[in-house]
Amino acid sequence: MSEFFLTQVINFGTPLVGLILFLGALGFPVGASVVVIAAGAFSQQGILPWATTAVIGLVGALAGDTLSFSIGHYAKDWAQKRFENSTLWFNAKNSFQQHAGLTIFLTRWLITAVAIPTNLIAGGSGYKFSHFMAYDIAGESVWILLYGGLGYMFGSQWELVNDFLSNFGGLVLGLVIIGFGIRQVIIMQKAGKKEAYKNAEA
Amino acid sequence: MAANTNPKQKALVIGLIILGVLFTAFFGMRVARAFRKFDGHRPPPRGEVETDVELIRDWMTVKFISHTYAVPERILFEALDISPNSNFEKSLKDINEEYFPDQDGYVLDLIKATVQTNLPQPPTGPTPPKAPAP
Repeated sequence: MSEFFLTQVINFGTPLVGLILFLGALGFPVGASVVVIAAGAFSQQGILPWATTAVIGLVGALAGDTLSFSIGHYAKDWAQKRFENSTLWFNAKNSFQQHAGLTIFLTRWLITAVAIPTNLIAGGSGYKFSHFMAYDIAGESVWILLYGGLGYMFGSQWELVNDFLSNFGGLVLGLVIIGFGIRQVIIMQKAGKKEAYKNAEA
Repeated sequence: MAANTNPKQKALVIGLIILGVLFTAFFGMRVARAFRKFDGHRPPPRGEVETDVELIRDWMTVKFISHTYAVPERILFEALDISPNSNFEKSLKDINEEYFPDQDGYVLDLIKATVQTNLPQPPTGPTPPKAPAP
């Protein structure tokens, strides 16, 4: 899929970068990160104007994020009714509210695989849109400048950068999952100790 | 883990940690391999054209390859024996499917070979001044 889009970026230039990043932010499998790295490389090769491409790409990504946040926001009532009695939903919402800013920021450029669920949860949990936008702009800017910048630096060898970054995201996601699992173990142990203490007291 | 923990919850957490370890191991190995590939790969300095034809991919267009390798489009289309009209914006893959459907990868190989033989000559350094005649 991303190969088709790369051909179209060569042919249609900057507006298509914006459109692809918009679709990517909505969850369409367009290979948005590949396109950002490639756009950096194409800029280095003089095919795309780097500044315009960066700005239009950023606008596209922000528009897509806003739309997916809105979907979460308008589906809030439905989710509330559907998961009213679910402790998992309640915990997920609470946990998100505690680390919302960092989560939004990091899922824009480091753990991009969970960016869409983050947008939906942010919208659905009643997170303030202005705060979401602030972290979103910061994260998407890092994404475009870092990934695009590496593409620019490596020029025609950009596929090496893509290979590295796509796997690095997976590695970080794995570490986050382990960290989350260990945290849950600690919470369970603490809860168990408390219960044991209560029983002993009784 | 506490003995009185819900077994379902316990299994979920163990499963999560195992999944995380598998993810980390899998992507960790791929990251290490990708990192090793960086060694010795540098793009040509700004202003100089690319010369490594192995970087040509079938999603590229003739126009793009011509720009990247500074080989005139005319030469590439002549090698393919097709008209540039309407083929300008097609990828090598599309050209292959349209004109050479029975020869998989033919266009890519032909373009690589044509680019290789038509790469611009690297600029020669300044010629040393002639020694004065005795």
